[in-house]
Amino acid sequence: MRIVMLLLCFFTTLPLLAAEEILPFADPKQQALFRELTHELRCPKCQNQNIADSNAVVAVDMRKKTYELVQQGQDKAQVIEYMKLRYGDFVHYQPPLQLSTIWLWLLPALLVLGMGVFVVRKNNQQQLLVNEDVSSELDAELQAMIDEATVKPNTGDKPA
Amino acid sequence: MRKLLFFIPFALFIGLSMFLFSGLFSDPRQHGSALVERQLPQFQLPDLMQPTKLLTADELKGEPYFLNVWGTWCPTCNAELAFLTQLRQQGVRIVGLYYVQPLDAAFGETFDLPALQKDVQQKLGEQGNPYQFNLLDEHRTLIFDLGVSGAPETFLVDADGVIRAHHVGDINPQNWPALAEAYQQLVRK
Repeated sequence: MRIVMLLLCFFTTLPLLAAEEILPFADPKQQALFRELTHELRCPKCQNQNIADSNAVVAVDMRKKTYELVQQGQDKAQVIEYMKLRYGDFVHYQPPLQLSTIWLWLLPALLVLGMGVFVVRKNNQQQLLVNEDVSSELDAELQAMIDEATVKPNTGDKPA
Repeated sequence: MRKLLFFIPFALFIGLSMFLFSGLFSDPRQHGSALVERQLPQFQLPDLMQPTKLLTADELKGEPYFLNVWGTWCPTCNAELAFLTQLRQQGVRIVGLYYVQPLDAAFGETFDLPALQKDVQQKLGEQGNPYQFNLLDEHRTLIFDLGVSGAPETFLVDADGVIRAHHVGDINPQNWPALAEAYQQLVRK
C-alpha cells in the first residue's frame, strides 16, 4: 500500500514540473542571473510571493521583462532599478537604506546591546549579593566565637 | 527611578500593540507609487474603437484627466462604470486604458479585436460610458510602465502630463471626495 502511495506521489508531481516555462539561455551566467532576479523581485499584486513563484498577470509580465532585459545584457542592479522605477521599492525584497527604514538595522542592534547591558548589570548585582551573604555568614560565625570566648570564663571557672 | 524602570516593559507592550493595531486598518494594496510627480511615460497606442488612429502621451495634454485602467473581464471595473459615468456627466474628463489579459496560444486563444469592441460596446451600453475614448494596450506596455498591478487602477494626470495621483482599486462615493479635491485644484490652475 505504501509503495502504491509513493508511486502515486511520484507520478503526480511529474506533470507539475513539466508545466514550468522553458526559456532558452545562451549564457549560463545570464540564466543564473535570471533565476536570482526572479527570486528577489516581489510580485506587486500578491502580498508575499516572488515573481518566480506567482502566476499573477503582472508577475508573468515582470518575468518576461526580466528575461528580455537579461538577454539584452543588463546587470542585476540595472534590472532592479528598471522595476523600481515602475513598481516602487515594494518590488524588491531588499529594502533600501533610508530614514524610514533605518530601524530595520538599528532596532536589532539596539536590542542586542540593551540585552547585553541588562545581563552584565544583573550579573554584577548577583555577585554583590553573594558577597554580602558570605560576609554576613562569616560575621555570624565570628560573633558566635566571640560570644563563646567571652561567656566561657564566667561559666567555665566554676569548679564542677 | 526604579519604579519607572518597572513600567518599561508595559510601555513597550502598549507601543507594540498600538503599532500592530494600526496595521489592522491599513490597506495592503496601497504601497506607494513610483510614478507620482513624474511625467506620463511615452507611448503610442491605438484608439480601441478606431484602431487606425494612434495616440501619444503628448496628444492627451491640455487639460487634467483621469486615466482609468479597466477591462470588461474585471468585475470591480464594471461596478465602478456607473459612478464614473455620473462623474463624466458632471464634467470630469476620464480616459480609458483598456487592459487586455494575456492570451494563451497553447489553448488556441488569439486576439480578436472585433469581438472585443463588441464586448466593450455592450458593457458600456449596459453600465454607462464614462470614457472620452479608450486606449488599447494589447501587450500591456503602457500598463507595465505605469506600474499597474491589476485592474481597476486610476491615475490623475495634470494638463502638462504629470501624474499627480495613483489610486488602486475602484472609485466610489466614499473615496471620491479626496480625488475630487485634487482634480478640482488642477482644473482651477
